[in-house]
Amino acid sequence: MAGTCPLALLAPGTGGTVAELRAGKGMQTRLFGMGFCPDARVKVQCADRGSIIVSVGDARYALSRGMAMKILVREGIP
Amino acid sequence: MREIRIALTGNPNVGKTTLFNALTGSRQHVGNWPGVTVEKKTGRVSHNGYEIEVVDLPGTYSLTAYSADEVVARDYILEERPDVVVQVVDATNLERNLYLTTQVAELGVPMVIALNMADMAEAQGDTIDLARLSEFLEIPVVRTVGTRGEGLDTLLEAAIKEAATSPHHEHTIGYGDDVEATIAMLADALSTDIDLARRYPLRWLAVKLLEGDENVLDKVRGGPALARVESILSSIDSDEYEAMMADKRYEAISAILPQVRKANVRNMSPSDMLDRVVTDRYLGIPIFLALMWGTFQLTFTVAAPFMTMIEAAVGWLAEFVAGSIEPAWLASFLGDGIIGGVGAVVVFLPNIFILFLILAFLEDSGYLARAAFIMDRPLYALGLPGKAFIPMLVGFGCNVPAIMATRSIEGEKDRLLTILVNPFMSCSARLPVYILLAGTFFPEQAGSVVFFLYVLGIAVAIASAKLFRSTILPGEVSPFVMEMPPYRIPTAITSLRHMWSRGSMYIRKAGSIILIGVLVVWALASFPLGVEYGSAESFAGMIGHLLEPLVAPLGFDWKVAVALIFGFIAKEIVVGSLGVLYGTGEETLSSALLADPGLSAAAALALMVFVLLYTPCVAAIGVIRQETGSWKWAGFSVAYGLVVAWLLAFVVGHSAGLFLGGI
Repeated sequence: MAGTCPLALLAPGTGGTVAELRAGKGMQTRLFGMGFCPDARVKVQCADRGSIIVSVGDARYALSRGMAMKILVREGIP
Repeated sequence: MREIRIALTGNPNVGKTTLFNALTGSRQHVGNWPGVTVEKKTGRVSHNGYEIEVVDLPGTYSLTAYSADEVVARDYILEERPDVVVQVVDATNLERNLYLTTQVAELGVPMVIALNMADMAEAQGDTIDLARLSEFLEIPVVRTVGTRGEGLDTLLEAAIKEAATSPHHEHTIGYGDDVEATIAMLADALSTDIDLARRYPLRWLAVKLLEGDENVLDKVRGGPALARVESILSSIDSDEYEAMMADKRYEAISAILPQVRKANVRNMSPSDMLDRVVTDRYLGIPIFLALMWGTFQLTFTVAAPFMTMIEAAVGWLAEFVAGSIEPAWLASFLGDGIIGGVGAVVVFLPNIFILFLILAFLEDSGYLARAAFIMDRPLYALGLPGKAFIPMLVGFGCNVPAIMATRSIEGEKDRLLTILVNPFMSCSARLPVYILLAGTFFPEQAGSVVFFLYVLGIAVAIASAKLFRSTILPGEVSPFVMEMPPYRIPTAITSLRHMWSRGSMYIRKAGSIILIGVLVVWALASFPLGVEYGSAESFAGMIGHLLEPLVAPLGFDWKVAVALIFGFIAKEIVVGSLGVLYGTGEETLSSALLADPGLSAAAALALMVFVLLYTPCVAAIGVIRQETGSWKWAGFSVAYGLVVAWLLAFVVGHSAGLFLGGI
């Protein structure tokens, strides 16, 4: 898919929509339940540290970069 | 009087436990910390002639078998068959919450939705049409505000009504033709397993199998349907199916949402702005440190006058009892033994309660989740998860609630590691030992000595974490995922309750274990009959002499050995025991210790190090056993603590001896 990028690599303040989850079975289901489903709008709030803060809809999570690498995002539409 | 059973389910952090407390009035831990509800909690409430049992299920994002919490929640709903399942929904976060709704609804149980935190959604400018939402979902929806107890009666009435309405249709999502055809095939295959079909809804089993749910596959194993189920499952790509089905659920939700909710467009909420500041690359850590410094400062200054008052009251009571009760042995037993011993513990109540109140306030406000985020990287480098930070902090108050607070840590190894290093965080029970010894032997540098001990405790905890990671608990820290709840202004009642649930563990400890400990000390020091209290001929003296060779290299004599044994019960007892063994009250103990040629200043320092590190107290050992589920780890913790304490006390004592003129 053109223009997808792991969530972990987005700059703070930018966002997009979830394109694909590249996680194992359990983790994928967990991420779905947390709101990281295809086409969900995500935005990186803070990426200063080992983990990043991401908002999905109205929820907000701290995710390790390792996990954020598994969420592929279509950039744009902040 | 009719009886019904309600199960509360919902995502973490939607105010489920608060609502549970408001409904049943029971005292519970209410947290702003994801995943706080780990155990099944029940409460009772009477309403309109119904006796209602309310069960608080663990907060979950979905009902797959990803975590133990999820399995607990869904097994309860499927196997215990509550009359009604109430899903608590965060009104400010509908999409994600309704995802769980689609899954609960598939279980085919009577259901009611409590649209909680409705006040916050309204404050954000959102309007939600309850009647339409209820119509679309075919589930009654009730507006609630758990923190203020609004909507509780309506909720109970809806639940009672729903429990009485039967039969129930299953509210299901259509997954599209392909998936539906496979579901039908699976359901048909499953219907040959009569036992299974009687217990679970077939469609639900089929859906879960398509999602690759191992737990459900285990239920099918050994039954007559297995062969057909496996052949159907092998013909499809389950990863693809799972994603497709999740899509359909969200599709159904997003079809409903615009029709029931008018969301206010907001650019930057106050929560966003606060987050910018407190998680800032440069400001984050200084703000965190300042808050922690303020917490301890406030704890000790506010507690000081209360401590003086309690001390005076205990002293007066002990004297009164000693002076007015006959015979003398009974007076000594009650006055010195029970009142003195338990009093020594009660003195710390103000400290502990104020510390826990401030922590409860920070936790309920949402800040502690940010603090865990900030601390994640430094702790990660040490092999600990960011969430380990709250138990470490609570450990300065008392290790018992601290070890229980590790429940929010997901990875089993991470949690075990956090439990094992927790006893090295110097709890407030150890402080009286430092105050006595540092005040007696190092009156000029007492503050620095006590500070050194706290730092040493943290250093040992860190070093131990590193050591365990590379030996007995190898592996990586599991990936950090934590919800950042929106900031809230905590209500006094929730914070007080929160404080109470942690602080009361300490009181219970003072009331039970320490009382028993005091009795044992008194008995060992008084028998065999006729010996002088606490003398070398008493049982206590004999035990001390037996152990003396073991602790002699540290500069301790038999009296210290006895006090250390008693300290095993609770570390503050060390002070009281020394008082008994030196045959003085605690007031004159200082001069008695100084006058004893058998205890040098260097040995006193070694003793403080030993008390800091040696074995967790009985209450902490009990809770380690409870939380790890095995005596093995409790025993390990004791043995490891003793070895580390002996080694470090030896090193510190002898190094100090070089400057202070021998140990």
